[in-house]
Amino acid sequence: MAAKSTQIPLKEKILQAYMDYILSNGTNPPSVYVFSKSISIKESEFYQEFSSFESLDGEIWNSEFEETLVSVKSQEVYDGYSAREKTLSLYFAFIAKLLQNRSFAVYSYRKSLNGLRTPAVFHKLKMKFNEFSDEVILEGLDTGEIIDRRFITDRYKDGLWVQFKFVVDFWVKDKSNGFEKTDEAIEKGVNLTFDLFARSPLDSLLDYGKFLSRNANFQFSSK
Amino acid sequence: MKEQNSIPTSKVERSAKFVTTGIKVGGNYIKHYSKKLFNPAQTRDELNENNATDIYNSLSELKGSALKIAQMLSMDKGILPKAYADKFSLSQYNAPPLSGPLIVKTFSNYFGKTPFELFDKFEIKSTNAASIGQVHKAELNGKKLAIKIQYPGVGDSISSDLKLVKPFAFRLLGMSEKELDIYMKEVEQKMLEETDYELEVKRSIEFSEACKPVQNLVFPEYFPKLSGKRIITMSWLEGLHLKEFLATNPSQKLRNKIGQALWDFYHFQMHELRAVHADPHPGNFMITPAEQLAVIDFGCIKEIPEDFYEPYFALTSTDVLKDKTETIKLFRELGMILPNDSEQQINFYHKNYKEMIELFSRPYSEQVFNFAGENYINNLFAYGEQVANTPEFKQARGVKHFIYINRTNFGLYNLLHDLGAVINTQSYTSHPLTV
Repeated sequence: MAAKSTQIPLKEKILQAYMDYILSNGTNPPSVYVFSKSISIKESEFYQEFSSFESLDGEIWNSEFEETLVSVKSQEVYDGYSAREKTLSLYFAFIAKLLQNRSFAVYSYRKSLNGLRTPAVFHKLKMKFNEFSDEVILEGLDTGEIIDRRFITDRYKDGLWVQFKFVVDFWVKDKSNGFEKTDEAIEKGVNLTFDLFARSPLDSLLDYGKFLSRNANFQFSSK
Repeated sequence: MKEQNSIPTSKVERSAKFVTTGIKVGGNYIKHYSKKLFNPAQTRDELNENNATDIYNSLSELKGSALKIAQMLSMDKGILPKAYADKFSLSQYNAPPLSGPLIVKTFSNYFGKTPFELFDKFEIKSTNAASIGQVHKAELNGKKLAIKIQYPGVGDSISSDLKLVKPFAFRLLGMSEKELDIYMKEVEQKMLEETDYELEVKRSIEFSEACKPVQNLVFPEYFPKLSGKRIITMSWLEGLHLKEFLATNPSQKLRNKIGQALWDFYHFQMHELRAVHADPHPGNFMITPAEQLAVIDFGCIKEIPEDFYEPYFALTSTDVLKDKTETIKLFRELGMILPNDSEQQINFYHKNYKEMIELFSRPYSEQVFNFAGENYINNLFAYGEQVANTPEFKQARGVKHFIYINRTNFGLYNLLHDLGAVINTQSYTSHPLTV
C-alpha cells in the first residue's frame, strides 16, 4: 500500500486527502502544517503545489469543470446541438458532476462565499468557463441564433457567467427531490438568456426608431 | 358575483379567456407588490383572493362541458373543486418543450445512460405534447416505441396552485374547510397520481390485461424496465386521433363500431373492474388502421367503492326511482340529501335529483341509443343551466366520488356525441360484485 501511494502524484494525493478530511470532519484542516503532517509530507511540499486551502478548493472545482467539459463535448449529439443546447448540456452535466461530491461542493461553496465578490471556488474555473462562452457565443453569432449588438455583444459572456453562478447557488440551496428544481432553473434560465440574445421586437423597434429619427430630420431640414 | 353577458364558445375565445385571466392574475401581483412597497404589512391573503376571484370568474364564464355536469348534478359545492380539476387539469401545464440536453439528463438520472445508448434510434425532437410531458419516437430491436417524458416539477405546481385558490373557495361557497377539503383532497390526489409514471405503467399493464374481453380495443405494450418516475416507454401505435378520424368521413357503421368499443370499454371497467379510466379526453384515444380503438393513457383511474357503486347504479339502472321512500334512502346514502334536511328540503331535492337522473340515465333506459342528435346533449346543457341558477343547489351535496364519475360520464357522452354513434347500451350492465 505504502509503495503504491507514493506513486500517486503529490498533487493528487493532497487533493484526495483534503477532500477526505473535509468530508469526514465537516471543516477545514486547522492549518497547512497539521494537514501536511497528517499525510506525512513536508509543509513546503504542500506549498509547491498550492498556495492555500482556498486555491485547493479552486483547483478541485476547476478540475471538475474541465472533466465535465470533456465529457459533454465527447457526446455524439453535442456537435449537432445549437448554442443554446450546448450551454444547457454543460450546465446539466456540471450539476450532475457536482452531485457526486455534493457534501464537499456545498461545504466549499458556502465557505468561499464572500459578499458580492466571486466565490473563491470559481476563481480558476472562470477562465475555462469564459473560453467555453466565447466558443458558444461565436458559434451562435455565426448561425444567427444570437444577434450581434454593438457594445452589448462583448457583455454576453458576462451574462452567461452570472447565470452560471446563479445556477450553482440555486443548486446548493435546492431542497427538492432529486434536485428537480435546479433542472427547471437551468432549463428556464438558459432559455430566457438565449431568447434575450436572439433577435427580438426590441431590436426592430430600435432600428425603426433610428430610421425615423434620421428621416424626420431630413424632412425638417429640407423645408 | 358579476353577471355574465355572453358565453365564450369557440376554442379561440376560450383560450383568450384564459389569457386575460393570466394577465389579470399577473396584474394582481403587480398591485400586491406596489401596495406592499408602501405598506409592508400587506399580506398575501389579499393577493391570493384577488387571483382566485379572477380565476373563478373566468371559469364560471367558460361553461366547459365538465363544469356543466357538475352543475347538472348540482352539487354546486362540487363545482368548485371540479372547476379546479379543469382549470388546473394537467393540460394547463403546457410547458414549453423540454430541451434536448434536459431529455438526455433525465435519462441519465434514471438509467445511467443517454437515450442514444439505450435505444437503437431516438428522435430528440418530440412528436407531440402529452398533458404533462412530451412524446418521442424511438426504436429498439426493430420495434417502434413511443416514449413519454414528464416535465420536471409538475407535481409541485399542482399542490401550490390548489393552495392558491383554496382560501377563496371557503369564502365564495361559505363552506367549512372540512367540507371543502373532502373534495379538494380528491382532486389533488388524483392529479398527483397522474404525475406518477411508475403507477401509470403498473395500471396500464393491469388494465390492458383485464380489458382483453372487450372487442375492438387495443392497447400499447408497456416496458417497465425502460420506464421510471418520469419516463414511460411503450410500443408505438399507428392511428388517427378522433378529429382526424372524423375528417376522413367514416361510414356510420364504422362510427358505431368505434363508439361501441368506447362504450364497452367504459362499462366493462365500471361493472367488472370497479375502477375506471376517468379521463375520457379525445387526446387519450386513437383509431387504428385496423378499425380498432386504441387507449393510450392510463394516468387517471377512479376506483369505485362498493358503497358508492350500489346506490349509484341502483338509481340509474333500476326502477327504484318510482319508489319515493327507497329513492330518498339512496339519496341519503350518496350524500345528496343530508341528515339535517327539513321535510320541505327533502321533497325539493328528491324531485330535482329524480328529474336529473332520469335525464342523465336515458341512454341506459333504452336498448339502443343514438348519441348523434343535438337534442339530448343540448337538453343536458339546458338543464345544467337551470340548475346552476337555482339557489338551493349552492350547497355541498353528494359524496366526493361524484366529481370524477361525473367527469367520466360526461366526457364519454361527449365523445360518443362527437362520433355520432348509435350504441347498444346493454352490453355490460351493473350487477353485484361476484366474489
